[in-house]
Amino acid sequence: MHATWHLPNGKTVTAEVKSGLTLMEAAVAHNIPGVIGECGGSLSCATCHVVVDPTWSTRAGQPSAFENDMLDVTDADRQPTSRLSCQLRMAEALDGIILHVPG
Amino acid sequence: MTLWTPTDDGHADLSSHDAFAQGAPLNTFARLRRDDPMHWTEYAQGENYWSVTRHADILELNRQTDLLSSARGIRIEDQSYEEYLARRTFQETDGAEHMATRIRVAKAFSRPVIAQFEQVIRDICVDILDHTLPKGTFDATAEIARQLPMRMLGRIMGTPDADLPWLVAKGDALIANTDPDFTTHVLDKMTTDEFRMMPFNSPAGAELFVYAKDLMARKAASGDRSGILPLIMEPAADGSVMPEHEFRNFFCLLVAAGNDTTRYSIAAGLQALAHQPELLPLLQTGTVWDTAPDEIIRWATPAIYFRRTATRDFEYHGKQIKAGQKVVYWFLSGNRDETAFDNPMRVNLARQNNRHMAFGQGGPHVCLGMWLARLEVRVLFEELAKRIAKIEPAGDHKYLRSNFVGGLKSLPVTVTLN
Repeated sequence: MHATWHLPNGKTVTAEVKSGLTLMEAAVAHNIPGVIGECGGSLSCATCHVVVDPTWSTRAGQPSAFENDMLDVTDADRQPTSRLSCQLRMAEALDGIILHVPG
Repeated sequence: MTLWTPTDDGHADLSSHDAFAQGAPLNTFARLRRDDPMHWTEYAQGENYWSVTRHADILELNRQTDLLSSARGIRIEDQSYEEYLARRTFQETDGAEHMATRIRVAKAFSRPVIAQFEQVIRDICVDILDHTLPKGTFDATAEIARQLPMRMLGRIMGTPDADLPWLVAKGDALIANTDPDFTTHVLDKMTTDEFRMMPFNSPAGAELFVYAKDLMARKAASGDRSGILPLIMEPAADGSVMPEHEFRNFFCLLVAAGNDTTRYSIAAGLQALAHQPELLPLLQTGTVWDTAPDEIIRWATPAIYFRRTATRDFEYHGKQIKAGQKVVYWFLSGNRDETAFDNPMRVNLARQNNRHMAFGQGGPHVCLGMWLARLEVRVLFEELAKRIAKIEPAGDHKYLRSNFVGGLKSLPVTVTLN
């Protein structure tokens, strides 16, 4: 399975992501700039903010109440399809997902 | 030069504050990382504990809060359940309880809100440096490192400047409660039973409680909305506001944790500039401001450890950890781990992908004030680099007597102005 990150500088990174791994963990493993994940996926830092490509937002699902609150404290402004990527876990339904890293 | 070339014999007593009084025993941490990464550590004053010293292990365990709880205390010292309840802040909670408070305060400390303080920070830095640098030779901890976070604390909380020295002294007494220079109630040297229900086992905690309550009342009466406290006191989405006891505990935490950590990060950075002469010219090129603050903070690692408590039996590196036993994450050791950092014993201000854990990265208790700390460090060193041609040691520096807070309590330096 794989995921694609569109970076603010226009570059694109596509990487293999094992099923069950979060997209924050995958981004950190591949040194995707701008996805940091300081709290290890505990919903405490909002540094793994990504904007899910609208074509994938339905499959990505809705944020939980805590995630929704933390999306209000991200560095870049929140977008309608913003998510914290520590809460997105790779599975068949997300194979090929496209994420935009906010600038 | 204990930091660059540690001198301990590799078998220091990690439970002894004295073992950290000449700089942290980094050879001991290196040996444990190599030979005994889950180390059963003797503690004469209470129950023994497990020491976790590898970067990867701390990251792996820190997120597992159902297995390793913060809600039984976060320092090595033992405490009863009633003491825990009386003293705890949201650092000492888990799960949904922690998140409820975290979300209440996260906005106020978020990167965009903190970024609005940059000019305020810069003005304070300019004032401090223009006052101090012409002295030529001075104690950089007292004259620079201590000043910036203290004055910023006042701006953040909207407290009168006249109150700041008192507040900072109380915060020092709470956090550096094992160093006789900072408290008359040295934790491991006398009985503090009288104060055991107070935050940090200290009468200073009780005094800060009273101050916080008065401050809240004064602000409510005058409609003062300066600083970030109004953001914290705003009703949450469900209409609830932070209860008074929670506010008082949070206030203590701000005074205690938001102060000396940044102070000792700045001091360690100044010490690094004085001992690695290539660093100042590198800062002056203007090319490393994105990476320098985190490297300075990695180098400093003022919060040396935090403790957790096992909630059930488990095995780790072949050791049997029992429910109720204390497990200590030595973040300082993680930040010197050769497998996580190239040349960890050198300051590299251009270090890329710096996955340091000075903010307790990897778990839900990651430092709330990390954006403020980074910003204060960056702006201070930006303004310093503009003004000086050279900074050199001017005598012996002194470390805090503590295995919990790592810092230079005095740092004599001589500067040459541009």
